[in-house]
Amino acid sequence: MKLYQVRKGQFVYYNNQLHKVYGIKAMYKQSIHLIRLRDLTQHLAKSAEVERYKPKELDSFNFNQKAYTLRNRKAEEGDYILIHNPRPDSLDTYFLNEIEMVEKADNKGIITTNSHGVKHNEYLLMEPGRDKDSYPIDFKDIQTVDSANLDDMELQNLSDLNSELLPSIGDIYKKNDNNKILETMVIAISAQAVYLGGGLEVSPVELMNDDNWEFLYNLQDYEE
Amino acid sequence: MNSKSRKGNSVFIVSLLLTLTFIIWGVFFTDNLAYVTNIVYNGSIDYLGWLYLGATLFFVIFSIYLLFSKYGDIRLGKKTDRPDFNTVSWFAMLFGAGMGIGIVYWGVAEPVTHYTNPPYGEPYTIEAANTAMKFTFFHWGLDPWAIYTVIGLALAFFQYNKRLPAAISSAFYPILGDKIYGPIGKTIDILSVFATVFGIATSLGLGAMQVTAGMHDIFGIPNTLFIQLIVIAVATVIFIISINTGLERGIQYLSNTAMILSFAIMLLILIIGPTLTIIKVFFNTTGLYISDFIPMSLRLIPFGEGEEWIASWTLFYWAWWIAWAPFVGMFIARVSKGRTVREFVIGVLIVPTLGTCLWMSIFGGSALELVQQAGNENLAAYISENVSLSIFTFFDYLPLNSLLSILGFAVVAIYYITVADTATFVLGMLSEGGTLNPSNKIKVTWGVIQSGLAAVLLLAGGLEVLQTASIAAALPFTIILIVMTFSLLKGLNSEVEVQKGNKRIRNS
Repeated sequence: MKLYQVRKGQFVYYNNQLHKVYGIKAMYKQSIHLIRLRDLTQHLAKSAEVERYKPKELDSFNFNQKAYTLRNRKAEEGDYILIHNPRPDSLDTYFLNEIEMVEKADNKGIITTNSHGVKHNEYLLMEPGRDKDSYPIDFKDIQTVDSANLDDMELQNLSDLNSELLPSIGDIYKKNDNNKILETMVIAISAQAVYLGGGLEVSPVELMNDDNWEFLYNLQDYEE
Repeated sequence: MNSKSRKGNSVFIVSLLLTLTFIIWGVFFTDNLAYVTNIVYNGSIDYLGWLYLGATLFFVIFSIYLLFSKYGDIRLGKKTDRPDFNTVSWFAMLFGAGMGIGIVYWGVAEPVTHYTNPPYGEPYTIEAANTAMKFTFFHWGLDPWAIYTVIGLALAFFQYNKRLPAAISSAFYPILGDKIYGPIGKTIDILSVFATVFGIATSLGLGAMQVTAGMHDIFGIPNTLFIQLIVIAVATVIFIISINTGLERGIQYLSNTAMILSFAIMLLILIIGPTLTIIKVFFNTTGLYISDFIPMSLRLIPFGEGEEWIASWTLFYWAWWIAWAPFVGMFIARVSKGRTVREFVIGVLIVPTLGTCLWMSIFGGSALELVQQAGNENLAAYISENVSLSIFTFFDYLPLNSLLSILGFAVVAIYYITVADTATFVLGMLSEGGTLNPSNKIKVTWGVIQSGLAAVLLLAGGLEVLQTASIAAALPFTIILIVMTFSLLKGLNSEVEVQKGNKRIRNS
């Protein structure tokens, strides 16, 4: 794949895995800057090493350690969408294959949490989970993957994450929700779940998502 | 959701009816329209000229205050948001949207016209040349950009930080609360749509006159009203096609091209023109502008003659910028997400002012040098009487004149289409309750309406009626803008309280 064919936003396979191009630095040796959809880690590559993939309905893939299936349906508030057919108006700034969350939906289209107006024919809905009829696109050649158990990938591998950023006991979080004011503290952590005051249980990845939760402070730091 | 869509429709329908009434009035009772708009014009100047002057000076002071205030660090959007555009393209977009067609139209014409007919003193003198440049800086400098700063910041803040719809009424949330969804909010939105339609129609009218002048200069096509109307019709067809076929990307490339071409022309003239004079003009006029800013800002002539000059220049400009404000403000808000308030004010007030002053020094300085050096009073008179042709007349006296004329024509034509295209999007947003997905039907309707209005205003008597009409439309919006500053201040204050709370905890 030649450099001039690679564009920001494209889905590409690199090292057999699905990535998204987030930047192209033509003067650099490794000019293609990628983000792996599965865990959002960043990678550098050359144009010859990547191969484009156009996502379509019923494709399924892991995004940020959760599985989704693409559906050609209208999205509703809180859904994730993949903008696969971008036609932004002259004042909009979104582009190909952006993944955004829906803030508001009506007959004409949706408005995302990033304040983008996206029409219904511009996106595919990312339905959580893998549909049994779906076609997994996480790997270009799934046969070569040793433990090609897709379910395994959905488990959150905490060792991959930056440990400094992980939730710890005593962290106070605020839920980013305009309707309710909710502040809560981390009271226990198991391998895959964080237990919050008020009987809430969330995954560590969800808690670290700035769109949903905002870290305020750690109780112990504050007391010192 | 239902109540909101009903709100959107009523804003659309009422503002559409108001505008259509105006168009029908212009087509069937042309003389009457000219007569009535003249009465409104004279009335607003005689009785309310001071309001325009006072309000605009207040916006400048308020914007500068924001720059140094405790609100400077507030980010437009979430704390993690970062700008969508890099700083250079952001400046270029602001410059293009705020002035675009206007600086090409007036860059030569205004200084020369003031030189032949100064606000005070003897015409055709060195003093008149200095005064001409000073007032050109004044009309295109801090004041228009301060108006855009206030409205752009208010729209961006309430849209991104308070998650309200992208509508002018949203900027009044701290004062009106949920009433922004009721009749008061609707009235504000209707007025803003009305002011926008007139502001854009004024620009499109000016643009059509200049495109026709360019075609006359380059291709020898007659420069008549009939051809101007054809230009409007053709442009309307082009941008309606672009709305319906999703050529928005193309429009973006075109507007970038127009900006690059504008800068190319500017640099070319700086190099091939009287470079040293231009630099001297820039420095000298900047000094005069700074030292005389307050007297110019408050200049009215209560005891003598000369009021007409202020009315037809300063007050017209202030009204024109205010009529443009909802459109430009919406555009600026849209491209400024992720910037802090301080960055915003520097980017929208300071940098474009410097850019515009540089542009005016290059075009105006060269033109005045041409007139002065050649001692060619006829040329000055010709330029000030044929304003649409002025830039092409000016190019004729420079080396590479054919290249400059073609580049100039291309810039005007592209600006014309892109302004019309972006305006339909903004009008769609404003008239549909702040949705970011205005439907094509509504965009096409506004496209046709704004072109129709431009045509009617040209038919009804050319530029004078355009001027009169924009002053009439801008008057109520001036008051809306003043209230908006207080609302913005209230909103920013509450944001500081919220952020201060977090900061205290984080730092400890």
